[in-house]
Amino acid sequence: MAIIEAIATTYLEADASSVTFSSLGSYEHLQIRMSARNTFPYRAGTGALTFNGTTGTAYSTHGMAATSTTNSANPYTGQANTKIPRLTTGDGISGTTGGVDSADFGTAIIDILDYRNASKNTTVLSMGGNSLTTSTPYIWFASGLFDDVTVITSITLDSNGSWMRGSEFTLYGLASS
Amino acid sequence: MAAFTVIDHTELGAAASEWDVTSIPSSYDHLLVKVSARQDGAYDYVNVYITLNGDTGNNYSHTTIRADSATVETNQNASRGDIHYCMTPAASATADTFGAMTIWIPHYANTANFKQMIASSAAENASTTDSEWWLNQTAGLWSDTSAVDQITIDAYSTDDFVQYSTFTLYGVTGA
Repeated sequence: MAIIEAIATTYLEADASSVTFSSLGSYEHLQIRMSARNTFPYRAGTGALTFNGTTGTAYSTHGMAATSTTNSANPYTGQANTKIPRLTTGDGISGTTGGVDSADFGTAIIDILDYRNASKNTTVLSMGGNSLTTSTPYIWFASGLFDDVTVITSITLDSNGSWMRGSEFTLYGLASS
Repeated sequence: MAAFTVIDHTELGAAASEWDVTSIPSSYDHLLVKVSARQDGAYDYVNVYITLNGDTGNNYSHTTIRADSATVETNQNASRGDIHYCMTPAASATADTFGAMTIWIPHYANTANFKQMIASSAAENASTTDSEWWLNQTAGLWSDTSAVDQITIDAYSTDDFVQYSTFTLYGVTGA
């Protein structure tokens, strides 16, 4: 068995509100690499990650972001998901659909460490950005916490609105032996 | 196509003050370390200290962009005995929460150049209070041309990494 393997790839032939990976295999770590755009009518669409179909209030997110001229950091706790904010390209500007090149897709890499360890909460590192052709770019680095020691058996990526056709998500497994 | 090889994987069965891998072969192109760790000191988050080849002389520098509040900050330290500013959660953070850390050391066996690393880490905590959570991206430099054959990650001061902390070292070729 290779140490790093592509477990599954989802390429959207049509818009979809979410993408779920439910066969995670037996690896040490997981990594999602995604190129995505959603229908949120702003330059940067906010995605969300949930595990095992659990919503509730068990999630936290801490992120720092930069645009071409400014930076910021934000914490969130007691959430129904861990955010992967501004990792993906939206489909509009200032609330109005349009104005973003149709070929612009944001990119992100999300690491999910030690997801099968039932003695640990699940934590996530996310890095991503969108350097748009015609408008303000974002870069984002974030961490996420799922305050639950349950072994992760499924991962769902939700969108603001829908993930748009042409978005692609690949889940990799990294073994430790 | 990139190929990964596991050089070392350690899951702590009991608390330990460091993770230390020696005799790293020079046959790969790059090294990748993935860490899921927590420390036992009475803090929300705390540093780890990274050294190469057992060198603790003042041969390291690092530049960091980080946040533990709404303000993103940067800093640079030179002539240090280690690379730090990578944090893990500690005993005051949310129970059972282990930090996530990824460290790349490209071209670690090149004997013509000083060694650079890029490290990302997060000390998660279910808190929105300033200074109770941590994010960083760190560029580290070891001013030495030796091939890297040892990586050591030490816990803070007299603290330990707790049980279930994991450290995985990959050798990467063809990337």
